[in-house]
Amino acid sequence: MDLKQKHAEYLAYAFLLAVVGVVFQQIATSFAEQGIASGGPFDNAAAYPRAVAILIVTLIALQLAVSSVARRRDNSETLSPAHLARPAAGLAILFGYVWSLNWLGYHIATPSMIAALMILGGSRRVAEILIIPVTASLLMAFAF
Amino acid sequence: MIDHLSQAVGLVLTPLSLLLTLAGVLVGLLVGVLPGLGPLMGIILLLPFAVTLDPIPAMGFLLAIFVGGSCGGSISAILLRIPGTPLAAATLFDGYPMAQKGRAADAIGIAIAASAIGGLFGGLVLIVAAPSLAAFASDFSAPEFAMLAITGLLAIAVISSSSLLKGVMAGCFGLLLATIGTDEFSTGYRFTFDNFNMLNGFHIVSIVVGLFAVSEMIIQLMGRGLTNKPNVPMVRPGFSSLFLTLRHRGNLLRSSAIGTFFGSLPGAGGVISSFTSYAVAKGFAKPDEQYGEGAEGGVVATESANNATIGGAMVPSLALGIPGDPTTAVLISVLLILGLFPGPTMFEHSPDIVAGVFVIYLLCNVALLVIGILTTPLFVWVLRVRKVNLIPIVLLMCVLGTFALQSSVFDLFVMFGFGLIGLLFRAANIPLSPIVIGVILGPLLENNMRRTLLISDNGLWIFLDRPVAAALILINIGLIGGAIWFNTRGPRT
Repeated sequence: MDLKQKHAEYLAYAFLLAVVGVVFQQIATSFAEQGIASGGPFDNAAAYPRAVAILIVTLIALQLAVSSVARRRDNSETLSPAHLARPAAGLAILFGYVWSLNWLGYHIATPSMIAALMILGGSRRVAEILIIPVTASLLMAFAF
Repeated sequence: MIDHLSQAVGLVLTPLSLLLTLAGVLVGLLVGVLPGLGPLMGIILLLPFAVTLDPIPAMGFLLAIFVGGSCGGSISAILLRIPGTPLAAATLFDGYPMAQKGRAADAIGIAIAASAIGGLFGGLVLIVAAPSLAAFASDFSAPEFAMLAITGLLAIAVISSSSLLKGVMAGCFGLLLATIGTDEFSTGYRFTFDNFNMLNGFHIVSIVVGLFAVSEMIIQLMGRGLTNKPNVPMVRPGFSSLFLTLRHRGNLLRSSAIGTFFGSLPGAGGVISSFTSYAVAKGFAKPDEQYGEGAEGGVVATESANNATIGGAMVPSLALGIPGDPTTAVLISVLLILGLFPGPTMFEHSPDIVAGVFVIYLLCNVALLVIGILTTPLFVWVLRVRKVNLIPIVLLMCVLGTFALQSSVFDLFVMFGFGLIGLLFRAANIPLSPIVIGVILGPLLENNMRRTLLISDNGLWIFLDRPVAAALILINIGLIGGAIWFNTRGPRT
């Protein structure tokens, strides 16, 4: 199935609704236990996030209503899942790097991450793939 | 202020401040030249270093990146017809045709000179306007600041997106993010999930790096031709470009004024100002000036306007603590990290620092003129770097920069998470700038809203009783009405 902007929009709204859900769940549990879910402006730490969360839900509802009228013909660009393979792999490499930094160590994890991203981007020059990652990671270690 | 300015010259003219200003201009030009980076990215990547410095050298370094980055994009626009930053998009209308006619060196020289002069104009306006605005705002109390925060957020939400609803939605998400951590009033923990890393909320740098830098680099990975090496001719502009630029004095002054004005409006920024000043300059052009075919005036108009924007944008940021765009939002967050609170109180309690920022901003523009013209060949060479080699280095800088702030792996996961959110929101055409502004303005809005309700015993009429707050409500209604009109009836971009 090709992906259109509307699919990304639905996913973004679902994410925001999940955030709103967490806000109400926390107000009902953690806030209530701490005694900060009600009272006057000083004690009530829930009123403001609750108001913002309600505003987000309202805005999503309005946006969906507007979109349903405006998007009878959806001419937005389509993206096949194959196009997403490279950025997904890039994200996986970055996540793997962040996750492995603690136990693999900077000097092994960093050149590996740079080399992997270069190969993913299409670089096939062995000398570049060896020299740039090592040099860059050493320079950055020195700089930071 | 004059006394403080003369004292500030002494504070600014230290070897460290001067060295960092020059380095900042170089870094700014570098991030400006390379398509996909830009001044915001440069500032967030070097922010961890800047926060270890004293306020004046730190602000000098970051402002120099802002100044250099706003100009650097013109080099790639002129040579490659690819603006290094959106700010330089209008520069290619006449800059590229000038290069095609064999006048690339003149075009780049004019772009740098016009940027520096526009920046100096914006700086002078900043020096005059910011203290006056801060003095006016010194009488503001909680209701005014609450309304001001809403105005700032609404303005950027309206301008940064073709959809008002999406812009406000993003701003509200930012406001929610700002509530994470310890509540200042009740000292209760909000949305911390018993995780000590979240007691102070998410670090602004993790959020900005993830939203803008990580998501941008991942999107660049999707592009084609990452291994291509651009064929760019070597160019060496000279200082004679300054005289070429000064031949367009009227245009220079008018465009700088337009840039400064748009800069001072939250959300408007450099792109709008450069396109507007180009259109105005074209309207005022002499019959022999062929705009769109390599007219010097076109480059002068766009470049002077987009750099003058910075001075304008600094006026509400310093005087009121209300940032106009993500870049000034990050600069405000740096001041906050350094223990300063932008707004009227900063002008009252730290006038020497404020004056130092003014002076160093002027110095950044002088440095841009000299460094920019002397080092252009270096940046032409940088344009030949393959993207496939650049993207991993930028991602590494994102990781190291974020980690270096608090030596926290948790911050890296936050950065990664916001990278995903940035990708999702970009795909959904939801603007990212209001999120950052929401995070910065969130505490200002909530604290002042709660203070207002405490003062008024939970009554909302206080907003209408106070003239400035009531005027801001009218402005907010106007912003919403204007955005609705523009979305339903007005021209579409």
